[in-house]
Amino acid sequence: MPDQLPIRVVVEDDLRRSRLTVAFRLILAIPHILWFFIWSLGAFILAIVAWVIGIVRGRLPDGLHDFFASYVRYSTHFFAYVLLAANPYPGFTGRQGSYPLDVEIAGPEPQRRLTIAFRLFLAIPAIIIASTLLSTPFAGGGGSGQNDEWGGGEYAFLGGGGVAFLVGFLAWFSCLARARMPRGFRDLLTYALRYNAQMTAYLFFVTARYPDSDPAEPRAAGDEGIPPQAVRMTVDDDGRRSRVTVFFRLFLTFPHLVWLTLWGVAALLAALANWVATLVSGRPPRVLHRFLSAYVRYTVHVAAFLFLVANPFPGFTGAPGYPVDVEIDPPEPQPRLASAFRLLLALPALLLGGTLLGLLFVVGMLGWFASLATGRMPEGLRNAGAFTLRYGAQVDAYGLYLLTARYPYSGPSRPAEPAAEPYDEPGAPLAATA
Amino acid sequence: MPRPRSALIALALAGWGLAAWFLWQTEVPDDLRLPHVEPGDAVSAGEERAASDFEEFLRFDFLLSQVAVVGALALYAVFGPRFLRESASGRIGSGMLLAMLGLAFVWIVSIPFSVAELWWSRRHDLSEESYGERVLGGWLALGGEFLFICLAILIVMGLAGPLRDRWWIPGGAVFVGLAGLFTFVYPYLIPEQEPLRDPALSASAREYARDLGVEGVGVRVERVGELTDAPNAEAVGLGPTRRVILWDTLLDPRFSDDEVRVVLAHELGHHARDHLPKSIAWYALFAFPGAFVIARVTRRRGGMRRPEAVPLGLFMLVALNLLALPVQNAITRHLEAEADWVALETTEKPDAARALFARFTTEALADPEPPTWAFVLVDSHPTVVERIAMAEAWAERGGR
Repeated sequence: MPDQLPIRVVVEDDLRRSRLTVAFRLILAIPHILWFFIWSLGAFILAIVAWVIGIVRGRLPDGLHDFFASYVRYSTHFFAYVLLAANPYPGFTGRQGSYPLDVEIAGPEPQRRLTIAFRLFLAIPAIIIASTLLSTPFAGGGGSGQNDEWGGGEYAFLGGGGVAFLVGFLAWFSCLARARMPRGFRDLLTYALRYNAQMTAYLFFVTARYPDSDPAEPRAAGDEGIPPQAVRMTVDDDGRRSRVTVFFRLFLTFPHLVWLTLWGVAALLAALANWVATLVSGRPPRVLHRFLSAYVRYTVHVAAFLFLVANPFPGFTGAPGYPVDVEIDPPEPQPRLASAFRLLLALPALLLGGTLLGLLFVVGMLGWFASLATGRMPEGLRNAGAFTLRYGAQVDAYGLYLLTARYPYSGPSRPAEPAAEPYDEPGAPLAATA
Repeated sequence: MPRPRSALIALALAGWGLAAWFLWQTEVPDDLRLPHVEPGDAVSAGEERAASDFEEFLRFDFLLSQVAVVGALALYAVFGPRFLRESASGRIGSGMLLAMLGLAFVWIVSIPFSVAELWWSRRHDLSEESYGERVLGGWLALGGEFLFICLAILIVMGLAGPLRDRWWIPGGAVFVGLAGLFTFVYPYLIPEQEPLRDPALSASAREYARDLGVEGVGVRVERVGELTDAPNAEAVGLGPTRRVILWDTLLDPRFSDDEVRVVLAHELGHHARDHLPKSIAWYALFAFPGAFVIARVTRRRGGMRRPEAVPLGLFMLVALNLLALPVQNAITRHLEAEADWVALETTEKPDAARALFARFTTEALADPEPPTWAFVLVDSHPTVVERIAMAEAWAERGGR
């Protein structure tokens, strides 16, 4: 749980943003960019010293620990500011409690010398995840295109790729228009920043605790719960994985991929018919809603199986009951104007959904090794995968198939346990009976 | 046994025998007596020993791999149903999962033998394929096999649902249809094809095709030289997709133009004598009884409509294939002998044929006279000695 971790992110942000500072955010951040670059160089050099001392003493001296802790906090403040996860201009010292999106770091603790000695290698999976979420000098280049020895090309120090970069880009328009940061964007950035802070702290020997990739949100102070969602994720998975089916997972998915493609052709035609029908009648016809809901569920099942978010071989009908599943609300009235331009409106969500596929791929890749070695899928990875699947299903349901008029919620949320016998109850959601 | 059923079985057996007799007929004269030929008449003692040693290793590798595969599948037939707990799918989906896992085990068990075979071929300069390519290629091919087995399971379990133990009747027909379909589309699945660019050989191919009444059958060259030095050719396709595929290794200076002409005529002979449709017909003769046996044996697990029966069905399929191997080899040898005869009749070049067959020993390390058990179990072509003897028999008869 995040509260028990030695590296915790605390959010005290009211989502308000100053249009003026948002408009010039990158220019305003130039002094911080330079300072972050210099501090990063210093951190790298001192990391070698810390590595040697850590191996000899089995813990970091207080002075070095505080230096790296300040660096982790500062980098989080800096990225939060640049990516619009927070509003005020940050200080240059990384002082604790000085910023709305802050990092609490526990004091120095003894660490195993062996893990210190091989820290860089041990951190590789975490670096891969962090580079997918938020590109930093230590977290690789993500999607920046040009790679150099930093792994991130010329924009790496700005987070030149990854999920966070796209969110910051999209949020810039939203903040300029509404003077508010969308809640989902802020929470997703918080997740990325938290993971990056944990990874950096682990890499620089601040803590021996491995980063937790579970996207369960650190709730912002004053926030009232997650907004209601028309497409909800349920997870009833015990984490066990069959090594044999894990080893051959890609090929075992082949028949499903073939069937998914064939069904996808029919779904495309149904989506077109659903769009026309929704424009005419103001709500999706039940039969098309049921058909497309089953397709969305089936997509989730297949992706969950392929990327090891779930264990058992899924069925071919998209029937509810798979360990990683989505519940979809019954058809509801939808504004005709919004329906007419749905694809256009869904463009940001489609872009983000596409970028999150990278995270799902990383989850599958790392989970493959972990599941083969231990016979279990790490819970954090599993939940990260479930989050991307939930968002993908919401994007499909909103943007492509018009199953709901509710915009996808991009923030992480803890998946719900499946309700007991939810599908046989009278009045259960229509999708559940599909 | 009730009388009508006995009569039905007798009728089926008679029909099977009659069909087999018709399919067995070839143009090779019934009174043809092959002269005795010693391997030493065609190749040197050293070449004979090298080929014999080479094939001996491959034979044992093959035998051991078959034992390992059958053993693995026997174990899987017992323990495989445990993997049902890894499925959240219905009966057909679960059956697909168990079938794919069965193939996966077969692949794992086969890897050492496949690597050993490659090592041996590389050692004798017959293959330039890397070990990585072999294993990775096998792994990728496994994906295709998974799809095929899923289709097969879909058909079998889909039919076994409503038809119970009688699924084998339409099931056999569907599989024969699929075999025909696969034969039809196979030419399009062969990679790296290019036209035969040698004008003289092309002209000969056209002339032979015209003589044999298969004018529409073209010749393509498959580029395999980067992987192997072994020579090969095949007749592929059905109806409008018929063609002859020559490996580019046949077109290098080791083989004379006349020798390549014999190969061309041999492959065109396969098409002229309808060997591919006949092979499908032979397949049908085995597919129906095979499916029947699988349906009967799997009844103890609830029949093929139950996913629990799939591992046992898979084991039976492989075991039956292995048991039928000597008969299948006999049939293919028979067809190959006819193609050799047609090639001799068409080219009228027995000397080139003799030289070509001898070169199979010197260039491809084909054992000129393998032991009987290997001949029966492994060899799908007549031996080099038999083929040379046929060329000599044709010459002794004075051609046509």
